Amino acid sequence: MPVERLICDVAVVGAGPAGLAASLAAAAAGTEVICVDQFPRAGGQYHMQPNAPDTPFAKTEQVQQGLQAIRACEAADVRFLTGAEVFWAEPPKSSGEHFNLYIQRDGRAIIVEAKTLVAASGAMERPMPFPGWTLPGVIGAGAAQRLLKTSGAACALPFKGKTVLAGTGPFLLAVASTFAKAGQKIDHFVEMQPAAPLKKARAMLRHPLRLPDAVALLRDLSRTGAQRHMGAIITRAIGTSKIETVEIAPLGPDGAPDLRRAVLVEGVGALCIGYGFQPVIDLTTALGASHSYDLALGGWHCTTDALSCATSLPRLYAAGEVTGLGGANPARLSGQLAGLHAAAFCQGKNPERNGTATQLATKLLAFRAFAATLAQLYPMPERFPLPLVGDEVVCRCEDVTLAEIKTAIADGAHENFAVKMWTRAGMGLCQGRNCGAGIAAALAESDIDPITAGYNRSHFPLRPVSTCIATAAFASSSEAKA
Amino acid sequence: MTPLPKSAEVVVVGGGVIGASISLALAEAGAKPVLLEARAFGGAVTGGSLAAIGTHMHGREEFGILDYARDRWRELSDASQDGIEYTACGKMGFILTDAALAAGKTLVAQEKSQGARAELLMPEQAQQYERLLGGPILAMTYDPDTATVNPFHAVRALMLAARQAGAQLFENTPVARLLVEAGRVVGVETSTGERVSTPHAVLACGPWTTKLAADLDLNLPIEPRQAQCLASIRQPSGTLRQVISSCEAKGGVDSGYTQIQQSPSGQILFNTVTALAPTPKGAEDRVGEVQPGFVVDSVNTLLMLFPALKDLPILRSWVRFEAVTPDARFLAGPVPVPGLHVCAGDNGSGFCRAPLLAQFIADGVTGRQTLPVALQQRAAQLYDPLRFMDGQNV
Repeated sequence: MPVERLICDVAVVGAGPAGLAASLAAAAAGTEVICVDQFPRAGGQYHMQPNAPDTPFAKTEQVQQGLQAIRACEAADVRFLTGAEVFWAEPPKSSGEHFNLYIQRDGRAIIVEAKTLVAASGAMERPMPFPGWTLPGVIGAGAAQRLLKTSGAACALPFKGKTVLAGTGPFLLAVASTFAKAGQKIDHFVEMQPAAPLKKARAMLRHPLRLPDAVALLRDLSRTGAQRHMGAIITRAIGTSKIETVEIAPLGPDGAPDLRRAVLVEGVGALCIGYGFQPVIDLTTALGASHSYDLALGGWHCTTDALSCATSLPRLYAAGEVTGLGGANPARLSGQLAGLHAAAFCQGKNPERNGTATQLATKLLAFRAFAATLAQLYPMPERFPLPLVGDEVVCRCEDVTLAEIKTAIADGAHENFAVKMWTRAGMGLCQGRNCGAGIAAALAESDIDPITAGYNRSHFPLRPVSTCIATAAFASSSEAKA
Repeated sequence: MTPLPKSAEVVVVGGGVIGASISLALAEAGAKPVLLEARAFGGAVTGGSLAAIGTHMHGREEFGILDYARDRWRELSDASQDGIEYTACGKMGFILTDAALAAGKTLVAQEKSQGARAELLMPEQAQQYERLLGGPILAMTYDPDTATVNPFHAVRALMLAARQAGAQLFENTPVARLLVEAGRVVGVETSTGERVSTPHAVLACGPWTTKLAADLDLNLPIEPRQAQCLASIRQPSGTLRQVISSCEAKGGVDSGYTQIQQSPSGQILFNTVTALAPTPKGAEDRVGEVQPGFVVDSVNTLLMLFPALKDLPILRSWVRFEAVTPDARFLAGPVPVPGLHVCAGDNGSGFCRAPLLAQFIADGVTGRQTLPVALQQRAAQLYDPLRFMDGQNV
C-alpha cells in the first residue's frame, strides 16, 4: 500500500473554531500548515457546514463565520485533510525530529510530519446512563444537532413521533435553536436546573455583551413550541424495540426526582439528551502531556499555559475545548494564541513582538470568566442524575452492568483502569468514549475522588485501524527514519 | 479506606498474579499476610499477560512443576465456578524451518515420555484443529492440555480467596524501602512514610524487585523486558481456537517469541517480538507505547499464519515489563537477609508457575510442608535465588 508523506511546520488536529483559528494564525505568520479533521468538512460541531446548499442553516451566522474562517485559511495556504482520522501520533524524540501523525483516510495511510503540533480536538458528549438509555431513538443532544444540520434538504431527525430534548446546560438551548432554524418542533424541553430567572439574570448582567445571544437562544426555544420542564429530569425511557414513552419527574428539594409527580409522555420518537460535554483528550494523553481535573471544565482536560497555550510536552500546543470546556470564543482565542506560538517556535521568533499575543491572552481570560459563570449556573452532574438499578448497562460495547462495576469497586478496583481490567467496561469498540462518564459516576458514587479515579490514557491505536494500514504506515515511517 | 496495620506476620510486596497467589497460600496456611501493591492489583505485567497455563514448550526440568500448577489452576477454576474463564484450548507451535522441525520432534518426544499428550501435526492435520491456519508451515507441535485463564479475573479470584482466608490487601500503596535491624528484616516503609513491622517480607514485584533488594546490597540478576501485545475488535467465536506460538530451534530469552490467541470475549490477541526493546529509565512510573516495528512484526506473523485475517481491525495495544533472568527461570526462595524472600523472574510466563511458587514460598515462610517433597526439592534447585551470586552477598 503506498503511503503518502506530508511535511509541514505546524500540524493542527481539529478544524473547529480552535483549529481554524490556530491554522489561520500560524499560516498568516508565514508557516506551512496542515489541518486535519475526521469529518468530511471543516468546521467542527460549532461551525458545521451543511451538506446541501438549500438548507436553512446555510445563512446562519455560525455557518457563515465558519465558512469565512475556512476560506481565510485556504487563502493563507492552509492545507486541509478532512475525513482523516489520526490513529496514532509520536512526539519528536530529539530536537531534530518532528511529530509524526499517522492518519487513515479513504482506506489509505498518510503520515504528517510536523515541527509543532496544535491539538484542537474539541469535546464530545458525556453520555450518562439512565433507565432505557440504550433504546434506539435515544440519542445525544449533540448528535441530534449534527443529524439536523447534515440531513440535507429534509432538515429533520429520522424518527417519527414526538421529540424530547433533555439534560442540562446552555448547549441544550443551542440545540433547541438548531431545531428552530430547521423549522422543527420540539414537544418537551427538560432542564435539570430550576428556572431561577433572577439568579440567571444577575449572572448574565455581569456579562452584558453576551445578553443578546442569551435572549436570541430563549426566543428560539419558544419558537420550537416546546413545553418546558425546569428542575426536572428524564427518569425512564420506555419501549420494546425502540423508544415509545418518556417519564419526566421534577427534582425535589433534596435533588432526587419526585416520582409521585412524574408525568409520562407517550408517542415519543426521539429523546435527545445531553448532560454536558467532555474534552477529547485521546491525542494529548497518548502523547503524554499533563492533564488536570476540573468538573466545571468538563473533567479531565489538557493542562496549558494561559499565555502561550503550550502543554507540558515541548512543541505541543493545545487550544479550545480539549484545554477545558469554554465554548467557541475561548476556543478561537486560544486557537489564535496556539497558532501564533507554534509558528513563532518554527521561525525562532518571539511572538510577543507587537503585543498581540498578550492582548489575546487577556481577552481569553475574560471569555473564560464568562464560561465559568455558565458552568456555575449549569453544573454538570458528577454522579448519576438519578439512582440506577444494578442491571442497568453502563458499557454498551461489552455489556457491563452497573452492578458488575460496583462489585469490582467493592473488591478493590478503585480507579478507572482497575474497573476496566476487572469488568471489561471501556475495552470495547468505542474505546471507552461512551461509558467513561458512567464509570466515573459509579466511582464517584463510591466516594472515590476523580483524581484517584484517574482516566484511561489512550494508547495505539487512537481509533480502530486495519492491520494493513497500520503496518504500511509504520513500515514507511521506519524506512524514512533509517 | 482501611488504614494499614502497624504489624503483620508477613508482608507481601507486589499484587500481581505471583503476589496474589502467595498471599492466598500464606492465608490458607494461617499466616494472615498483608499485601501491598504500588498501583492497581494485577495492573502491571499480570494484566498484560496472555495467561497460558500448561507444560508445552517449557522444557523437561519444569514439567512436573507445571503439571502440578495446572491442577491447582483447575481447582481455582472450580472454586470460582469458572469466574476465571479457565479454557483448555490447547496450544500449537508453528514450525517454519528444518532445524525447527528437528527441535519440534525432540520436544514432542520428550513431553510424551513425561506423560503429556503432545503430538507433531502435519499442516493439513493442524488445520482440522485450527481451520484458518495457512502459510508456509512445515508442521505444528500440538498439546491439547494447554489452557488459558482471564488474567484479570484470575487475580481478582485469588485476591478474594486470600481475603476470605484472612489476608489484608492494599492497592496504591508503594513500598519505598525495607526496614532492617541487626541484619534482619523487621518491616517495610511505604512511600508515604507509614511502617508495617513484620518478621517476614516477600518481594514479588516483578522486574522492580531489584530496587528494594539493592538497598540491602543484594544484586538480583533480573532485567525488565518490554512485553507488548495487540488486540483486534471482536471476531466470531472459534475464529481461532488454540494458543499459537513459535517453535524455534534456538531456545532461550533472545530468540524472540510469538503468541496468538482469541480471548473468550472474541478479540484476537497477538504479538511477535523479534527485537528486544531497551527499557527506558523510569519505565515503572510510566505506561509505555508499542513500537512501530513491533506492530509490523506482529501483524506480519499473524497474516503469515492466518492470511484470512488481513482486514482485521486493531483496537488496542499495551506495554508491560516482564522480569527476565539469565536462565529464564524464577528467583524464588529465601535470600541471605534473614526474613527476606523473593519470588520474581516470570520471563513472560508467570501464570503457569504461580500456584506452585506460591506454595513453595509459603512453605518457606511458615516452615510447613504442603508441597510434595519431590517438587519442593526441584523448585529449590531450579529457582535458587543465589544460583548466580557466587557467594558475593553471603
